[in-house]
Amino acid sequence: MTDSTSVALPHDEPTSAPKKFRRRGRVTKWISALWLFFIVFTAIGASWLPYVNHSCDQFANEDLCTTHLDTNPLLSERPPSWAFFSDTTRPVVGDAPERFGVFGTDTNGFDIFSRTMFGARNSLLIGAMSILFGILIGGALGLIAGYVGKRVDKVIDTIMNIFLAFPALLLAIFIVGFFDSGTTTEAKSRSIVPIIIALVILSIPPLARLVRANTIVYSQREFVLAARSLGAKNGRIILREILPNVMPAMVTFAITGMAVLIVAEGALAYLGLSVSAPTPTWGAMIFGGQAKLETAWWISIMPSIVLFLTVLAINLLGDALSEKFRIREAIG
Amino acid sequence: MRYFLQKLSQLLIVVFAVTFTVSLALGAIPNSEERILAAKGSGAINEEEKNKLLDSLNLRDPTIVQYGHFVKDFVTLDWGTTFNGNQPISTSISDGLKISIRLMVYGQLIALLIAIPIALLAAYRSGGVFDRASTTVSFGFISMPNYVLATVLGLLFTVRWQLFPAISEDIGFFASPWEHFKNFFLPTIVLALPLAATYMRLLRADLVNTLQSDFITTARAKGVSTPRILFGHALRPSLFSLVTAAAVNVGALVGGSVVVETAFNLNGLGRRTVLGIFASEFRLVQVTVVVLALVYVTINFVVDILYGFLDPRVRAGRMG
Repeated sequence: MTDSTSVALPHDEPTSAPKKFRRRGRVTKWISALWLFFIVFTAIGASWLPYVNHSCDQFANEDLCTTHLDTNPLLSERPPSWAFFSDTTRPVVGDAPERFGVFGTDTNGFDIFSRTMFGARNSLLIGAMSILFGILIGGALGLIAGYVGKRVDKVIDTIMNIFLAFPALLLAIFIVGFFDSGTTTEAKSRSIVPIIIALVILSIPPLARLVRANTIVYSQREFVLAARSLGAKNGRIILREILPNVMPAMVTFAITGMAVLIVAEGALAYLGLSVSAPTPTWGAMIFGGQAKLETAWWISIMPSIVLFLTVLAINLLGDALSEKFRIREAIG
Repeated sequence: MRYFLQKLSQLLIVVFAVTFTVSLALGAIPNSEERILAAKGSGAINEEEKNKLLDSLNLRDPTIVQYGHFVKDFVTLDWGTTFNGNQPISTSISDGLKISIRLMVYGQLIALLIAIPIALLAAYRSGGVFDRASTTVSFGFISMPNYVLATVLGLLFTVRWQLFPAISEDIGFFASPWEHFKNFFLPTIVLALPLAATYMRLLRADLVNTLQSDFITTARAKGVSTPRILFGHALRPSLFSLVTAAAVNVGALVGGSVVVETAFNLNGLGRRTVLGIFASEFRLVQVTVVVLALVYVTINFVVDILYGFLDPRVRAGRMG
């Protein structure tokens, strides 16, 4: 991956790029905001919202699983109800419906739509947690490196370079693989923690670099000098003077970064290295349908569409934000 | 010269840190000995062999000695064999490297072939219909994870229309050009489309800036034809970001195309590493990681040096 460094221009400087080239319609912005709202809403409410059908394997506690289908359980994959062009791959038993649900059902007969909503919970949680820790650690490192400079800057830069010496995805794979306990024969049960750790480590270097570049710009400005001559301590200058100015660039970058991390989690899942089966993430669902791609395309494709739309929406919003805060992207 | 030495010392520190961490990682893996023995195939090994194997990995030595052995083995190309099946690791890596490099070269070529003409057209009438359409489409491709793209294309081209094999085989170009094309077409496309989108955006942004400069206006006033302005005047000064990104990707893609390799079942270097992790082939993983990191770091180093050479501003540190 290229590591791009964005620098927020001080607000009094005119931007070089003419505005009309960068303007995207307001409508797309609202549609993406609406979509994200919908995804977050369903992710939070997945256990309580009425459409959730027989997703019993989401729950460790069997009692929570009350939403059985009244008739025969669909113990096989069924195409979505609107997919008139897709044949059911297995014969229909009894009075079980031939097509079922908005997104169809997977090999176990679970409704893919509800699984996708539960998947949203995991995918978004992983993305948000990782980027949050990434901001905390990377932001702190960047602030310190940019403000103190000299030797500290060099040391931090070298550490970042070490992490950047591996192709990003491979680094994540090693970290998750490293935490894998047990031998090959044992069933893999993986918790969410190693994945978050891996993604945090991925997100730290770019964030640190971005914050560092911005901190250098701002720490040379008059208001920092003014604060210093008034006797403000370094800690106060960093937190009260520099941090608020670095914030917009950091948050904008973090939003796009979250999209990247959600995709990265999916890639880990695609390689079979994500959370174990009962708690789905979007990536794990896409991966789970791969073997059935020939007969039951919807198992992989439906979560893929949701993942794609979510990443697209996040990217569009991030783009709009960076326009607003006039963040210039440069490859560095 | 100072710039060169600075970069070189950085490179050496990173290489040291990478090899050191990788050599220690083996000892730090939870119950590594048992997992190695399990990978070897339990029962099929007697006590003597077991000790020999563990000795050859220097697991029981102190840290520094372990590191020393690792570096010595690595430099003398004494990479050992896989635990299961005793395949030499060096062949595994060179086979994987061959596939990965092939994929990388094809992907980059196709990406550039798509990106440059589209960027030129888009930038020439920036804000126009073609520009907006291509920007939107490229945004879509940037937001599309490559495993999603692989799934969709795989569904369409291999399942529905059956134009290409679902599982790519590594057939050499000279063995059968047509089979070679058929087997590498989909992986290359999946790799190239998102790359092309990124490249196109980079080049377009730079081109739009270049096309506003005075020398373009002068050229236009002199009556130079549009293609000549675009290719002869505007393209070269706008290539900086694109070339940087493409160069960095040369290193990144060799190990970073794991997903594409997995999707099409190509045993590239990245996929071999992932499979190695699953099979507890720690030695293989260690060596592969170091090879990948070395390739990546060295390419970035060369790029840095070349830029310092080409553009004095970089050397002075003004471009960051």
